[in-house]
Amino acid sequence: MKVLVPVKRVIDYNVRPRVKADQTGVDLANVKMAMNPFCEIAVEEAVRMKEKGIVEEIILVSIGPQQAQETIRVGLAMGGDRGILVKTDDTVEPLAVAKILKAIVEAEGPGLVITGKQAIDDDANQTGQMLAALLDWPQGAFASAVEKDGDTLKVTREVDGGLQTVALQTPAVVTTDLRLNEPRFASLPNIMKAKKKPIEEKTPADYGVDTANRLSVVKVTEPPKREAGEKVEDVDALIAKLKAAGAI
Amino acid sequence: MHFQLDEDHRMIQDLVRKFVDENLKPLEPKVLERDAAGEGAYLTEDEKAAIDARSQELGLWGLDAPEDVGGSDLPFVAMIGVNIEIGKTCTPYYIPPDSPNLRMLMATVNDDQRERYLAPYVQGGTISAIGISEPGAGADPAAMTTRAIRDGDDWVINGRKIWISRAPQADFTILMAVTDKEKGARGGMSAFLVDKGTPGFNITRKIPMIGGQATYEIALEDCRVPHANLLGEEGKGFAPMQVRLSTRRMQMASWCIGAAMRALDMMLDYAPQRSTFGAPLSERQTVQNWIADAYTRIRAATLMTYETAWKLDNNMDVRTDISMIKAYATEMAYDILDNAMQLYGAMGMTKELPLHLMQSHIRTQRIYDGPTEIHNWVVARNLLGLKR
Repeated sequence: MKVLVPVKRVIDYNVRPRVKADQTGVDLANVKMAMNPFCEIAVEEAVRMKEKGIVEEIILVSIGPQQAQETIRVGLAMGGDRGILVKTDDTVEPLAVAKILKAIVEAEGPGLVITGKQAIDDDANQTGQMLAALLDWPQGAFASAVEKDGDTLKVTREVDGGLQTVALQTPAVVTTDLRLNEPRFASLPNIMKAKKKPIEEKTPADYGVDTANRLSVVKVTEPPKREAGEKVEDVDALIAKLKAAGAI
Repeated sequence: MHFQLDEDHRMIQDLVRKFVDENLKPLEPKVLERDAAGEGAYLTEDEKAAIDARSQELGLWGLDAPEDVGGSDLPFVAMIGVNIEIGKTCTPYYIPPDSPNLRMLMATVNDDQRERYLAPYVQGGTISAIGISEPGAGADPAAMTTRAIRDGDDWVINGRKIWISRAPQADFTILMAVTDKEKGARGGMSAFLVDKGTPGFNITRKIPMIGGQATYEIALEDCRVPHANLLGEEGKGFAPMQVRLSTRRMQMASWCIGAAMRALDMMLDYAPQRSTFGAPLSERQTVQNWIADAYTRIRAATLMTYETAWKLDNNMDVRTDISMIKAYATEMAYDILDNAMQLYGAMGMTKELPLHLMQSHIRTQRIYDGPTEIHNWVVARNLLGLKR
C-alpha cells in the first residue's frame, strides 16, 4: 500500500507569533518556519507503518512556496520516500488544498492518506475531512491510535467525553491528534540520505485546481491580555469576592 | 554572494537544537545544584552515558572526522551551527570526539597511528587531553621548557605541564615538548602521544577552576615514550598545534554566540514581564539598549565566524580572523550575559538560573587558548606588519 502524507510549512511552534501592525495577518518576515507538528505526527505514523511492513511507499506533498521543499526534505529525512511540491505563493484555503490532494490521490492511487488534524497557523481543521468527502472515502479524524486489521483500519478517536474506535475500509483518510505518537528526530545519516530522494515540482494548475480565495480576512488581532489575578486570605473572602462579581 | 547555509547543514543544526532542548537542557537543574553544592558542574557517568547513547543514535559522533575512519567529514561552516546550539546550555557536554585534538591528529598521524589512535578516537572509544601550557609558558608556547631527548627507540621526557583538562580520564595525552632547544618554536618543538598510565607521567594536582571546572598539573619525570608515538615529524609540532588551537577558537566563538543568544532570549522573555515603578523593564531605554546591542553584536560575531569558517574550508589564511573572532565573541558573550544577569536582578544572582554558570564558562574562555589581549595584539601586529 502507498500512503500519502501532506505536510505544511508553518511558523515554528517555538516562535512567539506577532500580529502585523496593519492587522492583516501574522508577521512572517525573518521568522523561523518548520513542519506543522501535527504533520510531523502524520509522517511518523506513516514511517512506523512502513517499518511494520503495512506500507511500501510514503509520498509527501506540500503546497506552498519554494521553501516548502525544505519541509518535504525534513519528512524525507524522517523516512518518507519521495516528495511532491505543489508550488504557489498564494494563500491556499482548505477546500483548494483538499481539491489538489484529491487530484494527487487520483494520480498516485494511495490506499491511505494521513494528514495532521490541523495546522498550527490557521487551526482550520478542515482539510482532512473535506478530502474524505471529495473522495467519498471513510475518515477517522483526531486519531490517537491506528491499527491495521486486514482491509480494515481501526482508528481510536479523541472525541468529547472519551475515546471512540471506528473501523474504516481502506482506502481512507486519517487525521492525527497530538497523542498518536512522538515523532522521531531525523538523524544525521538520514538527513544525508534525504538529499538524494526525489522531489517533483508541480503547480495547482497542473491539477486543474482554481486556488482563488473564497474567504477574506477581515482582521487579525492579538488575544486579549490576561489581567492579573487577586489573592484572597481564605475561603470566606473568596466566596465574598465571587458573590460581589456576580459569579455565584 | 549568499548568506544562507546549505539545506542539509541547516537540518543538522536543527537536529542538534532538538538534541540540546530535549537531552541537555533538562539536566541543567541538576548541574546547577551540584555546582551550588561546591561539587563542580558535572554530569554523572550514568547521565553522560545516556546522552552519549542518544547523540550516537542520532548520528552526531565524528561530525567533522574523515569518512574513512567513520566520521561525517562536515566542513567548518556546518560545525558553527552545531556548536552554537551546544553553547546554548550550561550542561557541560561535547559530542565525541572533541574536535581540536581530532583536527591535530588528522593533520599529523601516520598509518600506524591512524589505526591505533585516530580510528578509536573518532568512534568515541577514547578520551584525549593535550599538554601545552607550563608554569611560565602559557600564551607564549615558544617559551616551553619541557624537554624530550632521544634514547634509542624511545624518547625521554622531563618537565611540567599545567592547566590540563581531562588529564586523569584521558586514554592518551598529546604532549608538546622541545626536541631542539636551539630552534625552539621554529623547528624544535615536537608532539608525542602519551598513553594513560605511562611511568613518569604523574598527575600531581587537581586545580579547581571557576565555572565548576577543574584542570590538572602534570610532572614528567623520565617519562619514556616509544618513537612510534612521535606525532608528525620531529621538530614540526608547532604548526599542527596551531591547527588545533584554531579549531578550538572557532568552537569557542560558536559556543559564545550560542550562550549570548540564550541570554538574549531570556532578556526578551523577562523584560516585558517585570514591572518597576509602573512600567515594564522592556520600556526602559537602558534595557532597550542592552537588547539592541546584544542583537547587533551577536549578528556581527555570527557573520565573522561564518566567514572565517568559510575561509578555512577554502584553505585561505585565517590567522588574523581567528584571533579577531576569538577575542570578539568571548568578550561579546561575557558582556551580554552580564546585562542579562543585571536585567534579572536578584534572580540573576542566584545559582538556580543558568546565567551565572554560562558566564563563568565564558570568563574562562576569555583566558583559555590565548587571552583577549594576546589575540588583539596578534591582529594589530598582523595589520601593522610587526615581527614578533
